Amino acid sequence: MSYCKRINRKLKARYGGHVFAREDDRVLYLEGELEHWDEIVAAGLLAANRHRYDGLVNDIKFTGGTIPPMRLPKLHDSAMEGATPDVLIIGGGIIGCAIARECAKYDMRILLVEKEHDIAMQTTSRNDGMVHPGIDLIPGQVKHHYNMRGNRMYDEICNELDVPFRRSGQYVCFHGKTMAIASFFGQFYYKIIGLKVKYLRKREFFEHEPNMNPATSSALYFPSAGVVSPYGLAIAYAENAADNGATISLDTAVLDMALENGRIISVQTNRGTISPKVVINAAGVYSEEVARLAQDRFFSIHPRKGTNTILDHKASTRMNTIVSSFGTSSTKKGHTKGGGLVKTIDENTLVGPDAVETYLREDYTTDAKNIAYVFDKQSVTDPALHMRDAITYFSGVRAATYEEDFVVRKGKWTKNIIHAAGIQSPGITAAPAIAVDISTMAAQVLSETRSVNKNENFNPVHKSIVRTSELDAQARDALIDENPDYGEIVCRCEQVSRGEVKDALHRSIPCDTIDGVKRRVRPGMGRCQGGFCGPLVLQIIAEETGKTLEQIEKSAPGGELLFGSIKEVTQQ
Amino acid sequence: MMQEITFDVTIIGAGPAGLAAALAADKAGAKTLLIEREARLGGILKQCIHDGFGLVRFGEKLSGPEYAERYIEQLPNSNVTVLTLSFVSEIHRDQNDSILTVITREGIQQIRTRALIFATGCRERTSRQIGVQGHHCAGVFTAGTAQYYTNILGKLPTKRCVVLGSGDIGLIMARRLTLEGAEVVGVYEAKPTPSGLTRNVSQCLWDFEIPLHTSKTVTRVFGDARLTAVEIASVDARIRPIAGTEEIIPCDALILSVGLIPENELAESIGVPIDAKTKGAVVDEQNETMLRGVFACGNALHVNDLVDYVSESGEIAGKAAARQDRKSRGLIPVECDNSLLYVVPQRICRNAEELERIFFFRSTRDMDNASLTITKNGITLYTKKYAHLRPPEMERLPLLLKPEQITGNEPLRFHLEES
Repeated sequence: MSYCKRINRKLKARYGGHVFAREDDRVLYLEGELEHWDEIVAAGLLAANRHRYDGLVNDIKFTGGTIPPMRLPKLHDSAMEGATPDVLIIGGGIIGCAIARECAKYDMRILLVEKEHDIAMQTTSRNDGMVHPGIDLIPGQVKHHYNMRGNRMYDEICNELDVPFRRSGQYVCFHGKTMAIASFFGQFYYKIIGLKVKYLRKREFFEHEPNMNPATSSALYFPSAGVVSPYGLAIAYAENAADNGATISLDTAVLDMALENGRIISVQTNRGTISPKVVINAAGVYSEEVARLAQDRFFSIHPRKGTNTILDHKASTRMNTIVSSFGTSSTKKGHTKGGGLVKTIDENTLVGPDAVETYLREDYTTDAKNIAYVFDKQSVTDPALHMRDAITYFSGVRAATYEEDFVVRKGKWTKNIIHAAGIQSPGITAAPAIAVDISTMAAQVLSETRSVNKNENFNPVHKSIVRTSELDAQARDALIDENPDYGEIVCRCEQVSRGEVKDALHRSIPCDTIDGVKRRVRPGMGRCQGGFCGPLVLQIIAEETGKTLEQIEKSAPGGELLFGSIKEVTQQ
Repeated sequence: MMQEITFDVTIIGAGPAGLAAALAADKAGAKTLLIEREARLGGILKQCIHDGFGLVRFGEKLSGPEYAERYIEQLPNSNVTVLTLSFVSEIHRDQNDSILTVITREGIQQIRTRALIFATGCRERTSRQIGVQGHHCAGVFTAGTAQYYTNILGKLPTKRCVVLGSGDIGLIMARRLTLEGAEVVGVYEAKPTPSGLTRNVSQCLWDFEIPLHTSKTVTRVFGDARLTAVEIASVDARIRPIAGTEEIIPCDALILSVGLIPENELAESIGVPIDAKTKGAVVDEQNETMLRGVFACGNALHVNDLVDYVSESGEIAGKAAARQDRKSRGLIPVECDNSLLYVVPQRICRNAEELERIFFFRSTRDMDNASLTITKNGITLYTKKYAHLRPPEMERLPLLLKPEQITGNEPLRFHLEES
């Protein structure tokens, strides 16, 4: 009996004939109708088989709700009309930005389009910033391959791009005598699959992380784990790409594509029609949609939301690295690495995330019950965890395929598309390696139409905005002497100077929002959450960009903070 | 450039507490430095353009800037050194001296000071600290931030808003925004009674027909880029939202007045013990903390209702900090049971020269015909009757304590009872 038949039998048993599968050209399609989203996801997970098929396309119609359309930019102009880039990258998350930078090593004309008002606005900014050792990945998976390679690249890439990176290591804690013994033998499994790991007895563990749950009986230490600012790295990648000649077009959404003879010949956006030679799909939760427009849809994305909470610096002194407890992360069921407690690169403790299936691809709302669930779960690792120490919380949505694996390959049917799709955890870790391979593929595809050479002028070195509070007194003093703006503290929680805020507004990727500045130089990231510095940053943005105060937005068009002068606004 | 300058008394923060402290220390003959991180002196008073300041001290109703000016105008005639746009980034202790690293536009300065006064004020609780969920869009402002936009920048942050929390700034902003033509849909308070002063509830809400809804809170905000609505829910006795009571109110902003937190991160960094009840330093009646030579005053010490008391507390600290002698204090703890929210000071000196001590306290709940009893060693030292006590209204109690009343280390105990 064929696999498809067996799947159909299972589907019939479970969904009573509402769902069926068919296969065509090594792709498995699910069709039918279901009322509950979770059932649609379950059907996809049940049917997916990465060994037999190139992908699973889940076309089961969702009758229990309306899936909202993609959020589109408000902007409409013709700034990109007639552009003929060699490579068009769709999506300005960490994957798209890293690809742009790696492609810039060739003599390609690169255009990256991002539909949001800034790069790294979605999943890239909404995760725990862990560089994973690859604890729960399985050799043979695409994501395992890229995680291992990407992890090894981190020291060098962060050095080149001048992005803070700390290889803090990760502890997985075990509780009880039985588990201590199990973990002792567990270390050999990890050694066999090629991970660096160290078994720690209780006393050894508490020497490193003295404040964790006293019931911890042993721990495994993975020294290759680390932390990075995921949006910081993405911005550095994008700036380095731009510095090397790539064009980054924000507020630019792909609306349609035209194909001829199995090749994309033009891509329609809200800012004009682009005629690229090669298209790279790095569109995250919308990568399936881009694949559909490119007539190359052989995978489906089922969005999975997660919520993280950030603790005040004061409460973040309890731990120093990354600590989780065995069995608490939703790793086994939910396919997320579930960081547990992560001391971020900015020295805050991050708690989370959870994993909830959703049909809302851009739902970044938070819910009290999800946060409570995460705190409850992670209190096994540190019983002193408390919501009162939280300064903020945020949600992100993972772009998971039903195979729970990355799609990093050339198009299946369409000749000039390359997919970097289905990138969920450990996407941040994998990004540097994925970008290298995708840029090689892009060069190969491009070489079918013209010769491709190395970019002799490529400069791998990127300089980040100086963080004055991290300089030693002498260097800081010298910098202030050069520019007094570095001596005027605007955000006192995170000690950010006026000079740094101004720097953020004059980089190679444009930035003109409160949140854009926040993600670049951190005002508003502290315990007052921008109560004091928000108005100051707003005024600096207005001064530096020549806009009025009323035009300054929190993070996106439509998100203006002020309505106009008093006595004038409400006179209508 | 990195030279070390020495002062007798250094005050961090030039709001009402810091200004009063600096002038008092100067008057007592100390070489005094006042450090302010903003460009202008006056702290939060700069944006408080409503009146009502100074009734106790000056017998006049002043606006915030006018009240601040009463102190600022004395500075040129004093010997106080003033640093503005100057930010204390670090403090080290060296014996009983404090060494401050100050970031200024002219460079980094090291200040050595014999006495240090924290007049760092307080900050506002944020929407995240009270667990507001939903979208993270533009249009959520703390009342103080909304006040800055309205009064300093002259820009309206809302046309139709919901105010959450009935703290004084929230009430004042409800009135202020109404006066500017914005619609304040209502003030919502999670507690069963308002958090602000009675006079503010009356003058800011009733006079402008702004509804006050108690035992209700905002649970969610909606809006993609800008806020478009909030969800309100009734809460139970433990301030937990009750399912099924939610209602959606269309508006463009949520203004929060949900509490103030004394700013003591710098003080904590040098190990000043903090009172869990006030979130301010533990001090004696001279406002000296448990670290010798380190003082705290104003809203950094505990959140006050009236600026007049903030100034007074600054003066006490300034005067005491100017003293050269550091004789043993003979500290006696001051304690209260759960009938009081807190008492400040938390210690008194047995060896103090002045017999009069000024205590500040708040009752835990609304009380009618309450009697305050202060005991030591089981002996009642003092009793006083109060017709009404409300937690939002702080009581000031000057008390003469003779040395023979406060012998021994047993604590002074405060207790309130309704009769």
